[in-house]
Amino acid sequence: MNNTIQSVKFGDQDYPERLKHIKDPPKELFYRGDISLASELSIAIVGTRKATGYGIWAATNIAEKLAAHGVIVTSGMAFGIDTCGHRGALKGGGKTIAVLGSGIDICTPASNKNLMNTIARDGLVISEYPPGTPAAKYTFPRRNRIISGISAATVVVEAGLSSGALITAELAAEQGKDVYAVPGNIDSIYSIGTNKLIKEGALPLVTCDDLLDDLGIKRNPAVYLPEGLGKTEKEMLQHIGMQSEVTVDYLYRMTGKPPSEINGIITILEIKGMVYTHMGKIFIAK
Amino acid sequence: MLSKIMTGSLSGLEAGLVDVETDFYNGLPALNMVGLVSVTVKEAAERIRGAIINSGYSFPYKRITINFSPASTRKDGSHFDLPIAVGILTSSGELKKQITEKYAFIGELSLDGKINRIKGALPLVIGFVENGIKKIILPAANLNEAAIVKGVDLFPAEHFSQVIEHMKTEEGITKHHGRRHNLPANDYKEDYADIYGQEHIKRVMVICAAGAHGVLIVGSPGVGKSMMAKRIRTIMPEMTYEEMLETTKIYSVAGKLSDKKPLIHERPFRAPYHTISPSALVGGGVRPVPGEITLAHSGVLFLDEFFEFKRQTLDLLRQPIEEGHILISRNGENVVFPSRSVLVAASNPCPCGYRGDPRNECKCSERQMQSYTSKLSGPLLDRIDLQVTMGFVGYEDLINEHRHKPDYRCASSEDMKRDVERAVKTQKKRYIKEEILYNSQLSPARIKKYCAIDRESENFIKQAYEKMALSARGYHKMLKVARTIADVDGEDHINIAHLAEALSYRG
Repeated sequence: MNNTIQSVKFGDQDYPERLKHIKDPPKELFYRGDISLASELSIAIVGTRKATGYGIWAATNIAEKLAAHGVIVTSGMAFGIDTCGHRGALKGGGKTIAVLGSGIDICTPASNKNLMNTIARDGLVISEYPPGTPAAKYTFPRRNRIISGISAATVVVEAGLSSGALITAELAAEQGKDVYAVPGNIDSIYSIGTNKLIKEGALPLVTCDDLLDDLGIKRNPAVYLPEGLGKTEKEMLQHIGMQSEVTVDYLYRMTGKPPSEINGIITILEIKGMVYTHMGKIFIAK
Repeated sequence: MLSKIMTGSLSGLEAGLVDVETDFYNGLPALNMVGLVSVTVKEAAERIRGAIINSGYSFPYKRITINFSPASTRKDGSHFDLPIAVGILTSSGELKKQITEKYAFIGELSLDGKINRIKGALPLVIGFVENGIKKIILPAANLNEAAIVKGVDLFPAEHFSQVIEHMKTEEGITKHHGRRHNLPANDYKEDYADIYGQEHIKRVMVICAAGAHGVLIVGSPGVGKSMMAKRIRTIMPEMTYEEMLETTKIYSVAGKLSDKKPLIHERPFRAPYHTISPSALVGGGVRPVPGEITLAHSGVLFLDEFFEFKRQTLDLLRQPIEEGHILISRNGENVVFPSRSVLVAASNPCPCGYRGDPRNECKCSERQMQSYTSKLSGPLLDRIDLQVTMGFVGYEDLINEHRHKPDYRCASSEDMKRDVERAVKTQKKRYIKEEILYNSQLSPARIKKYCAIDRESENFIKQAYEKMALSARGYHKMLKVARTIADVDGEDHINIAHLAEALSYRG
């Protein structure tokens, strides 16, 4: 049933509430899934396609936490941050909305096909372009106004200087929505865009909980419960937490435990969901 | 007068006996060769005529027919020059049949009578010994190479006149006994102690060398992937006599031995460039010659820029790596070359090399990225058990040694080799009744037999299976690697720590 493509016109009852108030609302929206989600409380998570380990962690975590508190995550289903936002929301057991820059019978990028089908089943996939419209250079910036338009606020996780996420942030600001930016190291080229946003007045997202507080959502304690950890595991976590990202060799230097043992502990922590590895680096997951 | 001189012929690495039969007839002077001989052998006629005349003898003015028996196998190589020349002089009555028929001959002649180095001397000599022939005349330049064969009398000659002299008196050329050499100790210039701040990758190299697991190292340009790969020879066990014999045989056939390097006593390290043609990689040619994968036998095959290799080229590696040998069929002739090596692959994380590096921007498009890594999917991945990402070592970490705990040790090749040797010994003992040598060769049925795990570990794997979305293939790889880790640590049973460590190398 959810695989059928339906449409809703401006003026229809189902037309997303928040979208009615933007400058140039789409005349018609094509969708798969539950269109009522687009009128509920949702937050946009956007960012670069070439996310670093830090960005992947941040996007996944923010989305997961929002989803666990019943907030819908909206994004553009592109590689990198967008994909992590959607996946994080699904992982947190919540709903997510994907806004495409092509007709919704075309999966852009094609490799996200499974993700798109999952979102269509459990959430909502929408586009202003009629089925069969291929993605073009101009369609992505256009659809960004819908991403920011149906969301209550927009979070930019990582963005280079020319990232499309900055366009979304600008549109969100024009639409009078809050823009959050996740601060990053000033030597990382993927954080220049977000740090600049903060300089220009965006709200810095210092902890994931800031957003919940600003939305006036009460925290769900079940989300924060730590799992049983051994002594060495705790020691490792401490070292990882102090640096935010470390290598196995760093842990060897700091703890004196052989790499063989460290690798094992990291895997166990990964299974427990406490840490996260990407490109040879280890990050805190919670 | 009919004469019959012994020599040999090569097919791959194996040598068979060949009789060179020479007879003279009346008629127009001519020299005919029959018995499926190649152009190289037919050309021998002119070299032999020159060599005989320039050694001070006359070339018979007769109709000469030379038959190579058995006539059905293909014969190629320049080593037939000497036996043919000896055959002609024996038939003409210059040399005594009773003497020349006791010896086997191999050697290439120059017009002035000089005897030149030949390809494949070692396998030919081994072939003679297997057929009970103990006296061999061979080029002096090939002596060192052939002298590693036990129980044979070698007569090295530099000039054809020496051979003639010896055939007349059975004196003249000093006899050399082939014997087992004391191998020169390996003298690798590199050491793992040269690499600082990458201890976890060194650990992976130990596991790789111990279980002959294929490894893929991913990292940005300049982090030291090649350094890491080049040093793996330094931690592999010393070559055994049999390994040395087999490897030298390969290099002999490939014509890669020289006076400076008559023996292969160090494990080979082959690093073909990614533009290599398929037949250069796995072997081939009209007359099959060993490819890189065979030249790397008992050593290391290093494929740098792994993702730049053509897909078809990489796919060719599957069977030889799995089975330890490669079968090449040409003109109805089947040749088997051994190809048991450790596969070390290295790659940038993306075409430009900077994906995941916060200091440099990655300039690759998603499309480039996908076509890059898609090569790794598929069955070749089966052969790569270990996958690790090698990060950049910061300057601070490189110099600030005092910040380290006293337990931090920069492992040297010597330390690492000890662990590898122990694990290799354990595996040898364990697989004494199987046809395999290393854990990486375990089939799913054997994994069940040799990688037993307890209840507690089973639960752990179950958790991991779900959390990390392991595939059946990933599961088997994890068990094989865990088996090697247990062997490296000197433990009989696989426990959770081994499994967890194995999982961290799943890539």
